[in-house]
Amino acid sequence: MAKSIKRGKASLFQWLMLSPTLVFLLLFLLIPFILLFVLSFREVGDFSQLLPTYSISQYAEVLTTPLYVKTIWMTLWIAFVTTVICLLLAYPAAYLLVRAPSRGLRAFFYIVLISPLLTSVVIRTFAWIVLLAQNGLVNDVLESLHLINEPLQMLWNMNAVVIAYVQVMLPFAVLPIVTSLGDVDGNLRKASMSMGAGRFQTFWKVTFPLTIPGMITGAMLVFSLAAGSYITPLLVGGRLQPFLPLSIYQQMMQVYNLPMAAAMAMILLVLVFIVIGILGGVLKRWEARMHG
Amino acid sequence: MARSMKKRRFSTLDGIVWATGILVYVFLLLPVLVIALSAFSPTPYPTFPPSGFSLHWFGEVFRNEAWTAALMNSIVLLLIVTPLTVLLGTTAAYALARLRFPGRGALQAFMLSPLMIPQVVLGIALLYVFTSLGWSGSLGALVIGHMIIAFPYVVRTVSVSMSNMNPRLELASQSLGAGPAETFYKITLPLIKPGIIAGAVFSAVTSFGEISISLFVSGPSTVTIPVRTFGYIEQTFDPTVNAISFLFIVVSIVALIIIEKTIGLTKVM
Repeated sequence: MAKSIKRGKASLFQWLMLSPTLVFLLLFLLIPFILLFVLSFREVGDFSQLLPTYSISQYAEVLTTPLYVKTIWMTLWIAFVTTVICLLLAYPAAYLLVRAPSRGLRAFFYIVLISPLLTSVVIRTFAWIVLLAQNGLVNDVLESLHLINEPLQMLWNMNAVVIAYVQVMLPFAVLPIVTSLGDVDGNLRKASMSMGAGRFQTFWKVTFPLTIPGMITGAMLVFSLAAGSYITPLLVGGRLQPFLPLSIYQQMMQVYNLPMAAAMAMILLVLVFIVIGILGGVLKRWEARMHG
Repeated sequence: MARSMKKRRFSTLDGIVWATGILVYVFLLLPVLVIALSAFSPTPYPTFPPSGFSLHWFGEVFRNEAWTAALMNSIVLLLIVTPLTVLLGTTAAYALARLRFPGRGALQAFMLSPLMIPQVVLGIALLYVFTSLGWSGSLGALVIGHMIIAFPYVVRTVSVSMSNMNPRLELASQSLGAGPAETFYKITLPLIKPGIIAGAVFSAVTSFGEISISLFVSGPSTVTIPVRTFGYIEQTFDPTVNAISFLFIVVSIVALIIIEKTIGLTKVM
């Protein structure tokens, strides 16, 4: 009896602790999204002013105009390419971090990995503008090595966006892989080797499958970040690229067609959540398989 | 250690993995480092290696009222955002770790969702609401926007500390007659302090560098350092931004040192 009263008191206290956060998130995260959802169905007049009527015309326009459809595919494609490159580069980086022979080297790798997370995205994007510009460092180096005769045009296209994205988002892919690599039981590797498997076979059949959850977690983060950022594409890709976050930005800030921006935002949100949902499903299945 | 190294022959495969890995770290580190170091160049455009040493561009930043005002805004904002976010994030992570109720997992996912929601979507949702309320461009709008972005980091770092802590210590305290509030204050809080400090550092750094939401909801009087940098880069670039980059590097190094001294870098994520 006394025990259950005590437990009741504790749980009441915990609910009290949770409530400010619940109120805050309700007011400034959930309600804004509900309002944005409602806004996406509003109709607009000839001068982008809101009309009191509702329809699905914004969605119909986005999903049937070839330019917008191309934009949607391009957005998914760029996010996909960024995710794949990040995962490919993340694995050796994570491997080095986990297997670094000394503590100092390990700490150094960690600092290199975390410091980009702590440096504003504007600054990192600026770095790529300076490096990739016509008179930038990369062109200078290539020219002084006589690999090229004329400066290459490396900015203002989607390749520049992918390069900058990979650098910005790579830590999000590396850290979960590091965690899952660190969790792999060393005895499993020894067991595999003592049964006669080579190092490559051991890696492929034992270590790699155990790190797939880390890769999926990283992929979820990188994909959603790459599909939803607009700062980097705006600065190194140029304003005219077919990229959904850019279109949303323009509809909101330049065309002032708020319902259109809202409808595009909802489509983007749904697409990102579908991809994350699929990856989440794969993750669950894989973990079930691993742990029986 | 030495013996296992000897036993393990250094194969070609190892060589490839190490070479790729090192290239990846160079790729991560070099761009920002190059940019920050060329801030000391005396030339009117960024060069590397710098052709000389000069603090000219730092002077430009600190003499220019627009830059110093933006810096002030960013610092004021960070000083408001960090304690508020830490307060909300810590209480929420504590309650989530202890409470058992249906939908707890969903609530946790909801709290971490600002990391996954496309930033442009979050930005326009907040802009729309703040405009309707007449708050757009105010400091309050920026505070709320930054809190939403920084909040998940605090929840994560504090959750890590919560899961590393032995819940029996709380039970012991309660069985000795302390109420839940006293137990939280005297037992739980000191034990999860490293997570709270790491969360505070992440929150401060996130707020200092935040741009995606700020660009939408800031106004002429609430321009922050990243927003001003963004506008500046769009029109022109000169080494003033390199000097700003150096400032950001310094902030991130300070943050790294604080994290290492308190919770240890490897435990952060």
